[in-house]
Amino acid sequence: MAPLLRLENVTKRFGGLVAVDRVSLEIDPGEFIGIVGPNGSGKTTLFNVINGVYFPEEGTIVFDGRDITRLQPYKRAPLGIGRTFQIPRPFASATVRENIAVGAMFGTLSGRVGVDESLEIADQTIERVGLQEHKDKAAGSLTPVEKKLMEIARALAMKPKLLLMDEAMAGMHPNDIDQMVAFIKEIAQEEKIAVVSMVEHIMRAVVGMAERVIVLHQGAKIVDAPTKEALENPKVVEIYLGHPPEGQGC
Amino acid sequence: MSSKIARYYPLIPVYAAYLILFLIGRNVTGMWQLMAMLVFYCAIGQAFNIFLGMTGYVDFGYVAFMGIGTYGMALSISHLYQIEGLGMWVILIGAVLAILMSGALSVAVGAVALRLRGAYFAIATIGVNEGFRFLIEGAKIWGGSEGIIFSGQFTHIFGRKTASLISTTWADIFVILVACLGAFVTLRFMLGKIGYALMALREDEDAAKVMGINVTKYKIIAFITSASLVGLVAAFAWGLKLTYLFPDEIFDISYTVECIIIVLLGGAGTLLGPVAGALIYGLSKYWLTIILPGFQLLIFAPIIIVIVVAFPEGVVGVLKRRVRGTVLEKFIV
Amino acid sequence: MIGIQLAGNLTQGLILGGVYGMATMGLSLIFGVLGVVNVGHGAFIMIGAFTTLLLFTQLGLSPIIAIPVALVIGMALGFFFYYTVIIRLTEAPELASLLATFAIGTLLEESVKFTIGTEFRGYNWDVGKISLHITTLPMSKIYAFVGSILIALLLYLWFSKTRAGTAVRAVMQDRKGAGVCGVNVNWIYALSFAIGIGLTVTSGVLLTMFIPVGINPYMGGAYTLKAFVIAVLGGLASPYGAFFGGLIFGLIENGTYTLFALVPSLEPFAMTRFLSFLILLLILLIKPTGLLRAK
Repeated sequence: MAPLLRLENVTKRFGGLVAVDRVSLEIDPGEFIGIVGPNGSGKTTLFNVINGVYFPEEGTIVFDGRDITRLQPYKRAPLGIGRTFQIPRPFASATVRENIAVGAMFGTLSGRVGVDESLEIADQTIERVGLQEHKDKAAGSLTPVEKKLMEIARALAMKPKLLLMDEAMAGMHPNDIDQMVAFIKEIAQEEKIAVVSMVEHIMRAVVGMAERVIVLHQGAKIVDAPTKEALENPKVVEIYLGHPPEGQGC
Repeated sequence: MSSKIARYYPLIPVYAAYLILFLIGRNVTGMWQLMAMLVFYCAIGQAFNIFLGMTGYVDFGYVAFMGIGTYGMALSISHLYQIEGLGMWVILIGAVLAILMSGALSVAVGAVALRLRGAYFAIATIGVNEGFRFLIEGAKIWGGSEGIIFSGQFTHIFGRKTASLISTTWADIFVILVACLGAFVTLRFMLGKIGYALMALREDEDAAKVMGINVTKYKIIAFITSASLVGLVAAFAWGLKLTYLFPDEIFDISYTVECIIIVLLGGAGTLLGPVAGALIYGLSKYWLTIILPGFQLLIFAPIIIVIVVAFPEGVVGVLKRRVRGTVLEKFIV
Repeated sequence: MIGIQLAGNLTQGLILGGVYGMATMGLSLIFGVLGVVNVGHGAFIMIGAFTTLLLFTQLGLSPIIAIPVALVIGMALGFFFYYTVIIRLTEAPELASLLATFAIGTLLEESVKFTIGTEFRGYNWDVGKISLHITTLPMSKIYAFVGSILIALLLYLWFSKTRAGTAVRAVMQDRKGAGVCGVNVNWIYALSFAIGIGLTVTSGVLLTMFIPVGINPYMGGAYTLKAFVIAVLGGLASPYGAFFGGLIFGLIENGTYTLFALVPSLEPFAMTRFLSFLILLLILLIKPTGLLRAK
């Protein structure tokens, strides 16, 4: 089976800083993957390179058999790359329903989804994620957890093949996390969506039931293994147990 | 089917307002000029709202499109008046020229300035307006700083009586028609994909891109539409009505500010907002001119500050929230 | 012949450019710290010009005395408008602050118009002149130039040597970070706005040396537009960039005027203005961070 996403030696620099350092990886359709790394390890940059916010200086990105290395972000989304943000970024003044409709309207490949059809898709998706009672509220007025759900719904309305989730569970109550993980897994399996979930700490990936984890350290990939093996990997142990994360001073 | 028609209900209050203004102007002696001014404010507010209100980008040089639209009408009349039998066509050609010229300028400005955001965009657009005006004056294009005075040619085409009728009546009626067109285009945008795309990019441009929205395309669409509409308004309201133009008057930044005040006062991004804003602004300006001549700006300045600080949603923005869940909801967007 | 004329005009341009630079530092400081573009910038320059005029004609005081007076008036206005208006707008969309600062400018212009009138005024402060080979410079202009440099230096010292100055720089770098580290961001905003307006009003004093009869309530508009070009030359958010941007702008304005005047089919004054806005657009297009990245 051909991989859904393939990165080859991707490097992204900001001035002298190498944010992503020759990263190669493959993700298969329907996989459930955790990208793990402390703050500043290059995770968000890697996401931004995958969905086109930044272009890499070196390397190639192939999605679904197509080279997308230099493709504009708005052209990547319809190919099937959905994304949620660490701090949710709803279109605040619009309603939940309208937010989700935007995903259906512009994020699908045919590009011919009209307004009415998009609103129907939005209604179905809203039901799916259980936001019915909030659907006519302004998205900016939702609670943080509801905003996250709404972002997931907005991404799902794009009918993605790959869903990039940036710290989807951060700040959530443990009970909500369990529910959310179960829910995402269920949908991902049904619709054969590969989910790449970015987390700061490896234990979150374990909780998130990732099948495989990719560990980033200072922009480079240091481990790429099934979750269980990765947990026993000495490098991982060193990063996560050897040195406690440094506090950020002034 | 009926629900499809119901989507256009919000046009009813807008068009009703225009009709009432027209009827008052026609039937109450001495009111035509005031009504014409109000409709002019409605029309430029309607046009500017399509860009400022829907995209959230602040074009501080917006008056440039009004200026160049006026040139479109002036050039048509002052160059074509000798062609016999052109008659009314010269006005149509002037209108088309106004649309094409303001549209072309908006493409050029958009290509440069729409890459910028926030304050940088605002400053760049001020630069375009001033730069354009000084280019016309400095390189003595189209008569340079002396402008174009084409009342003679205008009278030559139509004769004194018709020319005067066109300037005093038809020019204003054309403005009303453009205002109607502006409201219709705004609602079409709101109901269609364009409206969703503009809403998304206004709220969060980067998120919109990641959602598959070609933000550049939609910004340019809104910019060109808004610029051509206002160019057309000015071609009638300034060109056809006054039959002369001077660059320092038609590129005066205070018209941009008037446009901004109207849109903001009424409620940016709403359909009824520019109309409400234009009526409130136009009437209070008119009234202040009568009771306190010369003091208008002194009184307006603090009012603007109060609106910006305490009332950023505008009249219709507040109204929209109030009528949510009532019968009126269908009519006010 | 043209060479001498050009050299003379460039010298004049450099002198004027220094004052232009100083007159833009306040704009850049306010944008750099608060993210607010002061569209009413020129009106504050006008206040400085009238302060000078009134002190000179009514009380017979020299413009040198007007400098501290203008600074105090400017800072007072700055604090006043910060706490009444700007404080509510720092997190609002640009539109709000653009319109509010425009309205503040209009308020000042109209107030002056009603108290003093709209005719053009001026004063004559004769402190001699020096003749160079290429041009003649009134001493008053040289004082203005030296004054600009001194004020720029004082600002530099304040930024680098004082606690408050350091805090302002920290806020310019990173608002949130500075807040976390115990900087009272709101006070820094107020102080920066007051100093920015103070500098701008003071620059109005210096500019009067270049406009013998150009003092009028609406004189500021042209300076607002020039200040935008200068600020963008220097990177918009950098007060020192603005100072050097002013020097460059003064040279360009005077140099190209001489050249445009050679072409009979052009109107040189308008062409220099056109050129300055062309430069503005090119810089915004190619390098919006400014040509000079002076910190």
